[in-house]
Amino acid sequence: MMRRWIFPILAGGLVALGAYQATLLATPYALMYAALQKIGGDGASNRFVFSKMATADNQPIVRPSPDLSYSTCVFDLSKGPVLIDVSPVPGRYWSVSIFDARTDVAAVRSDRDTKGEPARLALIKQGQIAPAGYEPVLLGYDRGLALVRILLANPSEFPAVDAIRRKSTCKQV
Amino acid sequence: MKAWQRYVIVMALGLVGGTAFAVHQVRGGLNDGLVLNGPWETGKSFGTLEASTLTRAKVALSGLMALPAKEAMYFTASRDSNGRKLDGRCSYDVRGGKLDGRWWSVTLYEGEGWLVKNAANRWSVAASAVTADAQGRWAFAVSPDAQAGNWLPTGSAKAFNLTLRLYHPSPEVIDSPEKAKLPVIERKGCA
Repeated sequence: MMRRWIFPILAGGLVALGAYQATLLATPYALMYAALQKIGGDGASNRFVFSKMATADNQPIVRPSPDLSYSTCVFDLSKGPVLIDVSPVPGRYWSVSIFDARTDVAAVRSDRDTKGEPARLALIKQGQIAPAGYEPVLLGYDRGLALVRILLANPSEFPAVDAIRRKSTCKQV
Repeated sequence: MKAWQRYVIVMALGLVGGTAFAVHQVRGGLNDGLVLNGPWETGKSFGTLEASTLTRAKVALSGLMALPAKEAMYFTASRDSNGRKLDGRCSYDVRGGKLDGRWWSVTLYEGEGWLVKNAANRWSVAASAVTADAQGRWAFAVSPDAQAGNWLPTGSAKAFNLTLRLYHPSPEVIDSPEKAKLPVIERKGCA
């Protein structure tokens, strides 16, 4: 009687292991996809969206920092490289990070790295070429997110910081 | 029962069980099994290629778009320094000294990482907001009721957690986050 169940149970165990691994592997892609849909909800990719400061009523992503101004660009490399130009804010921590479709960080550049100069990144796939003057960032997927964080010492700085960050651009070549 | 029926039953159970266990593990908190430092927990591989499948899935759920350690480290506490769960009906003192990085802030969240509605519209205390004494010591209160000095409201949250962000941490903190000097969280009393 029991012997009839041995192979089905082994098969079920293998299916369980497979389902476990598949769920873990799929989770980042699924959550990133949902986040990209939410952030780039109007369908416009390859341009920056300059978000308001996070509050209890405005939480575009999980665990937002209420001290940071966030600007996001949902990029799509399927039609060519995408150039990111980040306008520096003097004397403030700021950084631009590039996340791929699996949520991994492909690149981060902060004011410490650029010594206060603008950050200029070319997001490329294999076979694409970065234009002169841009640091190439190689990505394994078409879609992902560029995220600019700028630290505010207090909320009253927002208008000044907002004016500077709106000079940053995200555009397809 | 036919052989194929046995296979279908057990494989269906395997599919549901394996998926459910994965979901359970991913939802089981951001930091368990990672680095501990007093009430604070962190990981060394957020947002990097070294992150395990499970860590990556957990970070995607609770800290999507997290920065790598050289840029920022995230320490999260859901318990006080005596090991009791942080309770929104209680008042706490958070006390620390100079933190080994360029800048820090402590933000109060509920659940998987959502800011809590409160009448004061305050969600974080940053390095620039606290007043340090001659020894560099500082403190702020976490409480459902308004407090003198720096105060982080718990709003209507029953359970909450605190995330300490340390931007541009020193190489020593990146290498040994378990040895970093981090604030203590002391419970003063409960309503």
